[in-house]
Amino acid sequence: MNTMTAESSLSSKFYHGRWAYLRFAAYFGGILGIAAMAKFGVGAYEENAFLYQILSIKGFLWGGTGALACSGLAVVASSIKPTLLDAKFARNFVPWLDGFVLMVILATIWAQFEPPKSQINYDDQSNMFDGRVIMAMNVVFIFSAVSYIAYLFAPESFIGRLATWSAYTGVYLGGSALLLRWHESYLFNMQIGHAPVSNLYEVFILLCCVTSAVYLTLERRYQAKAMGAFVMTLVAAAVFFAIWLSSVGQADIKPLVPALQSYWMKIHVPMNFIGYGSFAVACGAGMAYLFRSHLESKGGTAKVLAVFPSLDQLDQLGYKAVAIGFPAFTLATILGAAWASEAWGGYWSWDPKETWALIVWLTYGSYLHARVSHGWHGKALAWWTVAGFLVTVFCFLGVNMYLSGLHSYGHLS
Amino acid sequence: MQSFPDTIKYLWQRLGSMSLAIILLVVLAIASVIGTVLIQNQAQVDYLQQFGPLWYWVFRALGLFDMYHTWWFMTILAFLMLSVSACLWRNVPKMLKDMRSRKPKLTEKSLKRFHLIKRFSLPATSDISAVQTAFKKHLNGWEFRAVEEGDRHYLRADKGRWNKWGYILVHSAILVVLIGGWMGAHYGFRGNMAVPEGDSENEIAFQQGSQTGHKTMPFSVRCNNFSIEFFPTGMPKEFRSNLTIIDKGKEVLTSDIIVNKPLYYKGVRIFQASFGDGGSAITVKMFHLGGSETVDTIHSNVYSTWKDPKTGISVNFTNFKPYNVENMADPGKPKVYHDLGPALEYEMRGPGMKPVKIKSYMNAFVGPKGDDRGSFIMVSKTGDAADYKPVSLGLDLSDPVEWKLFHAFMHQLQAINKPSKQANLMAFRKAMNEVFGAGKWPEGFQSIAVRTLQAVNILPQLPWAILPVLSNYKLHYYTGLQLAEDPGMNVVWGGSAMLVIGLCIMFYMPHRKLWLIVQSQDDGLAVSLAGMVNRNQLSFTTEFNDLFMKLGDDFASLSEQAPVEE
Repeated sequence: MNTMTAESSLSSKFYHGRWAYLRFAAYFGGILGIAAMAKFGVGAYEENAFLYQILSIKGFLWGGTGALACSGLAVVASSIKPTLLDAKFARNFVPWLDGFVLMVILATIWAQFEPPKSQINYDDQSNMFDGRVIMAMNVVFIFSAVSYIAYLFAPESFIGRLATWSAYTGVYLGGSALLLRWHESYLFNMQIGHAPVSNLYEVFILLCCVTSAVYLTLERRYQAKAMGAFVMTLVAAAVFFAIWLSSVGQADIKPLVPALQSYWMKIHVPMNFIGYGSFAVACGAGMAYLFRSHLESKGGTAKVLAVFPSLDQLDQLGYKAVAIGFPAFTLATILGAAWASEAWGGYWSWDPKETWALIVWLTYGSYLHARVSHGWHGKALAWWTVAGFLVTVFCFLGVNMYLSGLHSYGHLS
Repeated sequence: MQSFPDTIKYLWQRLGSMSLAIILLVVLAIASVIGTVLIQNQAQVDYLQQFGPLWYWVFRALGLFDMYHTWWFMTILAFLMLSVSACLWRNVPKMLKDMRSRKPKLTEKSLKRFHLIKRFSLPATSDISAVQTAFKKHLNGWEFRAVEEGDRHYLRADKGRWNKWGYILVHSAILVVLIGGWMGAHYGFRGNMAVPEGDSENEIAFQQGSQTGHKTMPFSVRCNNFSIEFFPTGMPKEFRSNLTIIDKGKEVLTSDIIVNKPLYYKGVRIFQASFGDGGSAITVKMFHLGGSETVDTIHSNVYSTWKDPKTGISVNFTNFKPYNVENMADPGKPKVYHDLGPALEYEMRGPGMKPVKIKSYMNAFVGPKGDDRGSFIMVSKTGDAADYKPVSLGLDLSDPVEWKLFHAFMHQLQAINKPSKQANLMAFRKAMNEVFGAGKWPEGFQSIAVRTLQAVNILPQLPWAILPVLSNYKLHYYTGLQLAEDPGMNVVWGGSAMLVIGLCIMFYMPHRKLWLIVQSQDDGLAVSLAGMVNRNQLSFTTEFNDLFMKLGDDFASLSEQAPVEE
């Protein structure tokens, strides 16, 4: 029943207790240090050289000081209150942050494979290495979706492990490819350089990775493999959309319009996608629930049922995903408002994107009310997560396609 | 028949009910959709054109063109506030009491209702306090409360007892944010001003329903300079204004602003919002198309009107842009952006002619191989920018020689009695000799020949007596600034912080309760472990089962005799 006991003691030591706690403090301090550098360092935030500022001696000093200071504080705090060593937040966040470090390492490796400077050409970006990493990610994610579906019908642990590991591989490939794009944007021209969350193609890769990562976190904790067939199918659909985008020439790295040149972009956009990704996972759980309840209503003899988590578990998993997504999405919307107040003169302008973000928020807000206070469960709420995700997709894609407004950067053309 | 206070009480209860809350949220969501589908705050004429008179008046009466400020939208928000207040009013005292009280006692009957319950039977030799210590050992950081009643020993453990504060924070946050928004709407303002370089301005204009409102600021803003920086790809990189604030006649502050970096002065934030032409000085050549070869050069400014005393034609210069980046690719092909150079827009009116809107480019169109394809203009017969059609003029009008050659050729053509290909060619040769001198033809004259022939077919067809063409300019921008003051903004940020903190408490610090009930019986101890959580059932179930296993091991070592798990 308990996942933790199944793990080897070494990884358990690494991901629990003292080490996880200290690592969390160090990561947190490092991020704070970099943020402080951007805010207070003299000349330390150049919109178009931020990546290299982080990677410079200066960035290392600021980040390192933050990490040391926070670790020190953490040691003091844990000596006062020893229960902190078992703190859940450290245990839950550390794997994500470790994964991020691994992505940085991978991106550094990929960067060695870039074409020589003489062959780097802004007008033809097809020889850049990120394209290959992303292609690998596409293949791996589609393979993962197929494996998860195969697992439903042939629940061999080998197939299951293959599905899970390919999903992990996809996340690392996608994440490192995005970091690589950040680096590449500088290779064309130092002035063009910007964080890789500025157009639809890039955020679609981000969406695939975040959705898979949220799903894998839930899978690791609750062994809900059958749900993967639904979530990874959504991811595969997003992969196909990204492939289409790149085929119509939307994959190129373009310079940033003045409105997007802000440190807020680096916080607001990824935070939003944690929300979107979690809502996609909730939708996957909802679909799995509906699928199972449909099979059960037909007599419940199908072999597939054996692989599925119980209805109650699927219901809980859907809620769990919303519980990750809703606060993240709320925070993202607030960060967006903060940015808007700095760029557009007001925190809220009833711009279509803002309004649709509010609609998404209201949709999941009423989901939570129906569930927590009204005691609704089961089918109705499973439908709600599916419908909620459709609203989310419209907010994220439809608004860009059909409605024009202040957010028309991610325009499909 | 209910009495009046009862009715009030009933309404108040309805107001705080969950169904109403859900309905309000859904209604608000649906209403919000309307305003995104129907583009807000456009010109009334556009709406009339789009929907026709009937629907226009229906939509206008409902305020759908500025719907987020209509009374009915405000009413929905007010109801939401009322509902949240009623909810808080009703639940907070109960919650505060609940959070404080931790009753350890549980009857057998209420135990039966528990979702999570496990039982052990321990041999009589076991020590009750040792059993309880084992339980406490696994619950680091929990709060305990113990009570005994007869032979039943209750031990209650709580974690996240303050979870309900999450609920209180989140719901009050909604109220705080809405109040902040209301403060901003009533005591704040947001408007635009356009300041030409070198000028100053102290009045802002803003949309007020379907009208434009004005407000005078207590200080004025002078634009010293406006500049645009470009990426190597030709896309704009930065819009920068150098501004000076003048308060009571004194220059108090001079600073640069760019997009995303506003300026603060006396609670007012000044943003870079747009830019445009602030009346650039222009030199325009008036080409007389009647065959007289006359070209008048005039000096004027954008936004002024030039009138020709001879023909009675008036030209109103409406706009000027130094850069005109256009997509030059065929439809459906990948886009290729290309800067066509400076262009002047004007409206031309005159006796006996249809008014026309023209965009005149200063430079000739240059083909992909660097070949000169002659001057060109964009013509809109309706006056709508969407109806612009390109007209290639053939001649490169920036070169006076071509204009001369064209007229020489026209004269030679008129001298021909019997037009034939041969005769036309001869006429062109004569014209070339006349302009350049025999044997002194410039290199690449073939392209000039082709274009002159083209011009012969086009220029005499143009329905206007004169054609104004931009020949030089001195740029003079205006900077479009947005000025805003919002006294409610910090309230909104406060509310937002409460919202996020509240949500985190609500979702990630569930109130977990555990009971260990030990009852001594004749043959030993009957131990019940019960658990309850208000959220996050799934991980609590895992945790509960984990605890149950560990306790089983502990109890086994306590009594050296395996406990019987039921």
